[in-house]
Amino acid sequence: MLTIHNLQKIYNGTTVVNLPELTINAGEAVGLVGNNGAGKTTLFRMLLDLIRPSKGEVQLKDVNVMQSDAWKSYTGSYLDEGFLIDYLTSEEYFKFIGDLHGLSGGDVAERLAPFTDLFNGEILNQRKYIRDYSKGNQKKIGIAAAALSNPELLILDEPFANLDPSSQIRLKNLLKKLREERRMTMFISSHDLSHVIDVCERIVILEKGQVVQDMQTTENTLQELETYFTV
Amino acid sequence: MLLTLLSHQWKAQLRSSIFQKSLVLNIILGLFILYFGSIFLLLGFGMHEILTKFHPGQNVIGIFNGALLFCFLIDLFFRFLMQELPVLAVQPYLHLPISKNRLVHYVLLKSIPSIFNLFPLLFFVPFMFTTVIPAYGTTTGLAWLAALFLVTLLNNFLLLYFKRLMSTKPLYTLGFGLAISLLMLLDYLHVVSLRAASEAVFGALFVTPWLAAVPLVLVVGAYLLNFYYLRAHTYPEELNLRKTAEASGRDITFLNRFGELGKLIELELKLIWRHKRTKSVVSLSVVFLFYGFIFYGKGTYLEGFAMLIFVGIILSGMPMFNYGQFVPGWQSAHFDGLLTQKNISPYQFYEAKYWMMVPVTVLAFVLTLPYGFFGSKIILINAATLLYNIGVNVFVIFFFSVYNKERLDLSKGATFNWQGVGASKFVMMLPAMLLPILIYLPFGLMGVPYAGIAALGGLGLLGIIFRKQLLQWSANRFIAHKYKLAAGFRQSN
Repeated sequence: MLTIHNLQKIYNGTTVVNLPELTINAGEAVGLVGNNGAGKTTLFRMLLDLIRPSKGEVQLKDVNVMQSDAWKSYTGSYLDEGFLIDYLTSEEYFKFIGDLHGLSGGDVAERLAPFTDLFNGEILNQRKYIRDYSKGNQKKIGIAAAALSNPELLILDEPFANLDPSSQIRLKNLLKKLREERRMTMFISSHDLSHVIDVCERIVILEKGQVVQDMQTTENTLQELETYFTV
Repeated sequence: MLLTLLSHQWKAQLRSSIFQKSLVLNIILGLFILYFGSIFLLLGFGMHEILTKFHPGQNVIGIFNGALLFCFLIDLFFRFLMQELPVLAVQPYLHLPISKNRLVHYVLLKSIPSIFNLFPLLFFVPFMFTTVIPAYGTTTGLAWLAALFLVTLLNNFLLLYFKRLMSTKPLYTLGFGLAISLLMLLDYLHVVSLRAASEAVFGALFVTPWLAAVPLVLVVGAYLLNFYYLRAHTYPEELNLRKTAEASGRDITFLNRFGELGKLIELELKLIWRHKRTKSVVSLSVVFLFYGFIFYGKGTYLEGFAMLIFVGIILSGMPMFNYGQFVPGWQSAHFDGLLTQKNISPYQFYEAKYWMMVPVTVLAFVLTLPYGFFGSKIILINAATLLYNIGVNVFVIFFFSVYNKERLDLSKGATFNWQGVGASKFVMMLPAMLLPILIYLPFGLMGVPYAGIAALGGLGLLGIIFRKQLLQWSANRFIAHKYKLAAGFRQSN
């Protein structure tokens, strides 16, 4: 599904991301953990062709993301508020995204149904613009929009941040369900170790732009990660 | 304390990214201020002679006083359009041990040293020296000047008050505006004479100079009005004009017929309708439609061609220039989102912009058709410049659009808002406005001006015919620059 060859991003002589090789197979859910400044967001932006790599390439389904737009039709992503069209209402935004993927109004409603719990009655039918929602609710809108098209690949940057505890748990269950029912490949970064272990079967630790560990999740993983991050 | 606040404000100005980034912009701004300042100054010195020339044998000061009230009303109108409310970022100070009163005083006093209040002095002071003092003596002259300055300040505070009320009690503001319009109307219908009233009011100062205390009392009153209002509303969510807005506007089903393209246009229309800055760009564009009167009203310009071409380009092109100069910065807040969406290709992105600008430009052309009464030549030239605008200039704008890397904050008004205005804006205007004149010039010099007009229109037609290729070319440039654009937009200032 996703292959990275020799990917590097260098800002003013500092190497921010340096990944010689990384592969994610279809159906896999991979968690990306690492401290601030490890290069997680930069890496995600390169996956989505938002930043030009200094070197190397990112391939989705064996096609370089810089050369073709084909990946957009099967990739759903939400990194930050920059992905939201914040002067629309949430319904208008979902409809817009749905339209781009050729979904009817009924389809959109159906696809949003699993999100009812997560939305907690605070997202739909609010008659206000996205820019006026709280950070957490904006995040919910962004995640729902990313999953709306039933993408084969879902890329989320810190989906649990800014959410209240109940929402975090609901989101976690939702992501698991999406995996089981729709066989989505996921690439998720998070600072919340226990949540990300719950959702993902493989964890990649990034430090200073490099992969320092790449492991399958077992019952000991949480402990290992905690030991790793204890300074 | 006030001094500390002042120094903070000063730092905020000095360290704002716009100020630091663009030296060129500041120089141009300085030149503008110098230019208009010297015009005011010269007018002030020359007013005595101008008035004696046009109204020989009459009392110059009387005529001047007669026009004053009218000027102050117009001043109010322009302030309403352009003056920004001085919202000191009070939020970071509210929880500190600083009295509320002091903060409010600061916010209000800060509004005094603005261009609107100081520029009139450039005009009044010379007039006082050349005309009023020789006729009535120094004391009376100074009292007269003080009264005028106080009325300027009265305007300042009245306007701040009513503009601020606009968000909470719009009816008050509307009533205020209606009262002033009514006054103007009554004057026009000769029911009351603003001229006579103005002459009487300001003339009374020469008989009893201490009457200057009256505007003083009024200013204090207006100040207190502002003061008490602001003190009761120091909560950030009330001070900030940006409130949680109820969603408005519906889907425009008509546009659905055009598929993806219609969707993008609809999105853009919503963007315009739902942001302050874009809305003020629209109203500014409407004001520019009246620009023609300045030129067409004077017979001398109607003889030539070059000037009329320039005016024609501006008349139909101004909405497009105003809006287009920031493309694609309008989408800066959700640029990453657009780039990762399926079915939004750069070509479509530009195509949507193109099909937004064309109807607007044509509309501006139609609205300015009545200028044809000044001469049928105007219609011909404006039609040629219309074609040129939608065939060539639109692509000139697209060409420069890839250099607009600054994020725009759309919640602020457009007047005096220099965010996102860079040197490239001025460079962009040059080919857009001068090139058509240069194209015309050789024909004009050879004595076949109408062939020059035809050449302009023809070039425009060519552009319209090859628009697909030109749009593709714009899209390719966009693709080559998109990483830089996205990186720039991510930086919020």
